[in-house]
Amino acid sequence: MLKLNPERKKEFLELMAQRGWDVLLFYGDTWRKDHFRCLVSVCFTGPQALAVLTKEGEVRAVVTHPWDVEPVKAATGGSVTYVPRLVDGLKSALRDAGNAVIAINGLEQMEARFVRAVKEISRAAPISATADVEEIRRVKTQEEIEWITKAARLADRGYEQFARVARAGMTEYELVAEVEGFVKAHGAEDNFMLVASGGTEVTAMKPPTARKLQLGDSVITELTPQINGYYAQICRTLTIGPPSQKQLESYAIFAEAQQAGQDLLRPGVDISDVARVQNDVFRKHGYGEYTGAQYTRVRGHNLGLYPDEFPHVLESVHYTCKKDMVVICHPNTYLPLSGYMVFGDTLLVTDTGCVSLSQTEKRLFQA
Amino acid sequence: MKRGLVSWDKGELPVDELAARLAAVHTVARRKSVDAVVLYSDVWRSNDARYLSNYMPYWNRAFIVVPRDEKPILACALSPRVYPWIKTVTVHENIIASPSPPATLFKLCAERGWKWVGVCDLEGLPSDLHAEMIAGKVELVDIPRSEIRPAPTEVEVWMHARAARMAREVLEKELPAAGERNDHQLTGRLERLLRRAGAEDVVVLVSDGQGPPLPAEGRPVGPHTSVVVANEYNGHWAKVTRNVAGVTSSLSESGGATALRENLSGSYSWESLDDATTAAVISLQLQIRAGDRHVYYGDTCLQGQEGLRVL
Repeated sequence: MLKLNPERKKEFLELMAQRGWDVLLFYGDTWRKDHFRCLVSVCFTGPQALAVLTKEGEVRAVVTHPWDVEPVKAATGGSVTYVPRLVDGLKSALRDAGNAVIAINGLEQMEARFVRAVKEISRAAPISATADVEEIRRVKTQEEIEWITKAARLADRGYEQFARVARAGMTEYELVAEVEGFVKAHGAEDNFMLVASGGTEVTAMKPPTARKLQLGDSVITELTPQINGYYAQICRTLTIGPPSQKQLESYAIFAEAQQAGQDLLRPGVDISDVARVQNDVFRKHGYGEYTGAQYTRVRGHNLGLYPDEFPHVLESVHYTCKKDMVVICHPNTYLPLSGYMVFGDTLLVTDTGCVSLSQTEKRLFQA
Repeated sequence: MKRGLVSWDKGELPVDELAARLAAVHTVARRKSVDAVVLYSDVWRSNDARYLSNYMPYWNRAFIVVPRDEKPILACALSPRVYPWIKTVTVHENIIASPSPPATLFKLCAERGWKWVGVCDLEGLPSDLHAEMIAGKVELVDIPRSEIRPAPTEVEVWMHARAARMAREVLEKELPAAGERNDHQLTGRLERLLRRAGAEDVVVLVSDGQGPPLPAEGRPVGPHTSVVVANEYNGHWAKVTRNVAGVTSSLSESGGATALRENLSGSYSWESLDDATTAAVISLQLQIRAGDRHVYYGDTCLQGQEGLRVL
């Protein structure tokens, strides 16, 4: 199992040499563990964890929960210090860093007091490495692709469970509990999942409520299991009972839009165009106004150690796609036909196009 | 992640309780001579905002802005499409779409003529937000968390106790029959039961007796297995640990066992706590020697000057 990512470590050392950084810190907190895990793939328990990569290639770490010492030490082979308060650990980990140029991956999320401590130690404000590291992370290694593929398979099985157990009279949160229990029982480390049910009054997904599913409902979900740190996502919609004509009409538009994005995605394509071709399908059908921020968020996004990585698939975002990026195309939005609807697959960019890592049938499901 | 039931049961968390907490913040604002008090919130640093308004983000960042003697304003980066739902589970009537919460705060300051703003744990803000804040034209006053959140109220303690009961019940039901499963399967069963019972979030860690509790890795459940269940019920965490061997210990007199204290309602949910007297709801986890291995046992307790009380 990938723990210390050697390919990434090599790339990060090259980045440090290019930028003239002496020390690169990887700061993760409970929300953004990915900033730490892109070097040390350990799902830490404490509030924060920090890895220190020196330009000589040494890796040492500071953790804020005693249960994190052993797994992080096993992953890095270097020294690991436990401190209840990260400020104390920073002073220890950077004790030899006087006048060093220090860059931090995850600087923006780092508490201001920690940044100040780094500044006091090195006598200069640390530099943000977040964008540079994200650019490296965007293109996946073969091992990362294997983990994301496994996560995509689990997303398929999770959706199968979702469609199997959903029924009228069940609450949204009971449905989520069934799926959550299933993906965890089958190896998910975590799962990001949103849901909604109902008709044209549904304008967004959110955490599950106590609303009971009813005959005629559209039930929508974005299911995102995590395997060994890596997320894959699937978006599908099902109806409780036979679909109405409007639900079928709506689904056909979403399927056409998602396919347009999938057909275009390849190396060299501007991600803006991947959004545009999806939106153009809505425009063609007279629903162009529902592609804006009032009704939707994004037409997809990159996937990896974080379930919502950049670049976002938006007409306003310009980024040239590269081989081995993993992107979900999901033209999820509100339509007056049947309310908010979702449909999306996890796509791996190949030499000549992309392949879907999702194997779930592309159809409007029925419970 | 917060993908369980997020709700507001006014029988459990009365409107009056939240009103009293808000009134206490107004008192702090007057004492500090600030025009408003700001609390930061994100997916995993949600305890303070939840305490004040029952706001629970499932994603993204937010500020709760409490004008002196007024109702709180939520400045959040979530889409306005979910504001109707937020209004059903919080006290918030005024929600402002805020890609940048500091920018929204400064706009409010300009509109209302605010000159002094108190920020709960100013240096604890994420550094990008902190940089935006200190670059503004408003005087910022740091307000320690302990002034916003003093000793736990009876309602808080009751909610933590409810979360702990849920965790204990599923562990006592599932552990005796867990020997035929691996730790993934056991984790899945615990998650399913807790989420069906209304848990908002669940984190399960498992130890095989040779190392610390970790996320499940597909290892078989054996006689030295210990299971840690962190269960969040409507914003209130509990952490309960039991072991297959049935080893228990007195939490108030842990003897030779190694003890770990965590603050369950700190800025982050599981901060290590080296102070054994501060009034707080804590998790106390014991590592107990069992032959050539060790097992874990722990529970959720109310800590105070008079000692510990298991909730």
